[in-house]
Amino acid sequence: MSEPVLVATEVTKSYGDLVALHPMDLTVLAGQMVALVGHNGSGKSTFLKLASGLLDMSGGEITVAGSPAGSAEARAAVSYLPDDPVLYDDLSVREHLAYVAALHGAERTEEELDALIGKVGLSHRADDLPARFSRGLRQKASIALGLVRPFELLLVDEPFVGLDAPGKEALLGVLDDLHRAGASVVVATHDPSFVERVERCVALRDGEVVHDGPATAADVLRLVGA
Amino acid sequence: MLTANPEADLEAALADWRKFRRRKRLADIHWIDAAYQAYLTAVVGGAIFGVASGFIGDNELSPEAVARLLRHADAWVGMVAALVIGVGLRSGSRGGPVALERAEVRHVLLAPVDRTTALLGPALRQARFLFFVGIVGGAMAGFLASQRLPGSPGQWFAVGALAGATLVGLSVGAAHLANGIGIPRWVGSLLSVILVGLAIADGLGAGVPSPTAAFGRLALWPVRFDGWGVAPIVVAVVLMGIGLRLVGNTPLEAAERRSTLVGQLRFAATLQDVRTVLVLRRQLAMELPRLRPWFTVRVKGTGRSPVFVRGLRGVLRWPAARVARMGLLAVVAGGALRAVWAGTTPMILLAGAAAFVAALDAVEPLAQEVDHPSRRDSIPMESGELHLRHVPIAVLVMVLFGIVAAVMAGVPGPGQVPGDVASLLALPLACGGVGGALVSVLGGPPSSSDTWNLVPPEVAGMRLAFRTAWPPAIAILGAVPVLLARTVLNKHQPATSGASVGSMGVLALFVLVAGWVRVRARIGEWWQTQMSMAKQLPANTADDNERDEA
Repeated sequence: MSEPVLVATEVTKSYGDLVALHPMDLTVLAGQMVALVGHNGSGKSTFLKLASGLLDMSGGEITVAGSPAGSAEARAAVSYLPDDPVLYDDLSVREHLAYVAALHGAERTEEELDALIGKVGLSHRADDLPARFSRGLRQKASIALGLVRPFELLLVDEPFVGLDAPGKEALLGVLDDLHRAGASVVVATHDPSFVERVERCVALRDGEVVHDGPATAADVLRLVGA
Repeated sequence: MLTANPEADLEAALADWRKFRRRKRLADIHWIDAAYQAYLTAVVGGAIFGVASGFIGDNELSPEAVARLLRHADAWVGMVAALVIGVGLRSGSRGGPVALERAEVRHVLLAPVDRTTALLGPALRQARFLFFVGIVGGAMAGFLASQRLPGSPGQWFAVGALAGATLVGLSVGAAHLANGIGIPRWVGSLLSVILVGLAIADGLGAGVPSPTAAFGRLALWPVRFDGWGVAPIVVAVVLMGIGLRLVGNTPLEAAERRSTLVGQLRFAATLQDVRTVLVLRRQLAMELPRLRPWFTVRVKGTGRSPVFVRGLRGVLRWPAARVARMGLLAVVAGGALRAVWAGTTPMILLAGAAAFVAALDAVEPLAQEVDHPSRRDSIPMESGELHLRHVPIAVLVMVLFGIVAAVMAGVPGPGQVPGDVASLLALPLACGGVGGALVSVLGGPPSSSDTWNLVPPEVAGMRLAFRTAWPPAIAILGAVPVLLARTVLNKHQPATSGASVGSMGVLALFVLVAGWVRVRARIGEWWQTQMSMAKQLPANTADDNERDEA
């Protein structure tokens, strides 16, 4: 049996009186691709941010590759792709990739960077400033940043928002490649069709897990009305 | 799969990339822009210094006056330190004082780089800038003090610079320490209130020792050397040392929130957009409306005054921090009124400023209509009418503010305003504040709109300056009755007559402002029409010429 990469135990998140995530347990094994589905405000993004270390837990525990979420070891193991691309104003796409790779100790050649830029469809804009890109192009740059560094677990939040059809197909291909290469991937999405590509679907409703297992698009619509 | 090089020096890579980015940024700055910025800073700094110098005057105080001033001066100067340390504690308990770029939070702090190393550079750069501001500001304050107080200008200059640097060290160090040990937000606020409260009690001679009085003793070294003045310097050094060692404990959640809001806040401040600054500052302080109101207002059906009830419901959801701030501002305004009554005329600016800031909170229901014009315009009512219906709740809130300020002004003690005069000050103070806030919120940030493109630049510049200064000036006019009362009393006439006349004047001004609120949309439409007609005029003239030639 595969080793667990992500283990969440009784994880909660509250903002004052508002409970964003009820006590939640979730284990993701090495090499698993998981779809995290739910309606707006169900706690998908909150959970991914907690696992990446971007948010502080109100209670419970999350470990990533055996280390507490947010620790240096966990940060080295998890790559988080946010739904809102956050990029520097003064660095080109290529410089962004080189910077993030360096911060993670990944030695990438120019050819490797070019190949990654080509994979997300930004070859013609590699030396432009992504801060001036459209939403979709910034999303592509953000995807490249998530992939340029080593990781054991990829957390992806609403990756298809803002992408055109070729961009979406390219991203799905990249996720499949990563899955085949043995990476664990958790994708939070509103897209019910995505669940049919994965072996496991976790559905959240108002901060609680209401389904964990294989699912069809129809199941998702019935479970969470996404 | 890709693997990381375990021997890679991530911190060195971060330092190299930061150097690269700094070089890129510097290369993008033209020396003329930099020189122009320095020129503007020097002009503004010189103007502030000149105005402050004019207010303070240059007649040296008599020995009796100096002795009277020194009786509680250390406590009052210490109150400045208490306020500044309080700001630091509140900032630190909310993830401050460092505000990184959002991309730095996402890409650097989420990388396996040592966080202390990653944050130390930005923290030191911020501290270096603040120390520079503190030293220059302190030296200028010291120089101004040397005009009235005994001691050579050189001594005052040096001690002022030392005190300014110490103040920055105390505040920034307290912020880093509060952030590093992760004190809860309410503890940060409570400690701030205690420090300020102790300083006020000490200043009023209540016999309560204030820890920040030691800072006052340092600042007053040119008049009277006191060994206790060394204490705040030592504390500042210790706080900075420990605080910077703990900078790596900054919670990412707070860093992310600050990175987003502080950037917007700086931009809004650059545009002099008071409303946006206020809203963002609330978000930064996590000042959220209460989920449950202080008490519930029950109205049958839609009620007869839905706009007023909506405003009342909003006010009843004010968080405790906002209520406390209103109370504190009222106390400050009352204290300033006392000082004006006692003869320190410039304190009228402080009283007006306190009322203005408080009123910006009081007009919140109206401001939300301005923030969401499409929602407002969907209501079948003229916008001016809707805005006007929001005014009574703002006046109600500010009358409570004015009553607290008047009570504070009338409390027995030095500078006490007589009760009959104080009771006449509450309403004008409230109306002045609301009037200023209404003009500020409805007028929006000063801008050079298209309709003003035709006027000469000099006129447009004057209009810009007027629009910036007018709202706080209205609030300051609300505090003028106390000045008139004092002037009339000095002419051996009843002080209440002066206060009454002043109050009537302020109320008349408030009525004019309310009228402007009601008809400003119509005036705006008329003005737009006139300007568009004026723009079309040259084109018509050219057509006419062509016709004539044909």
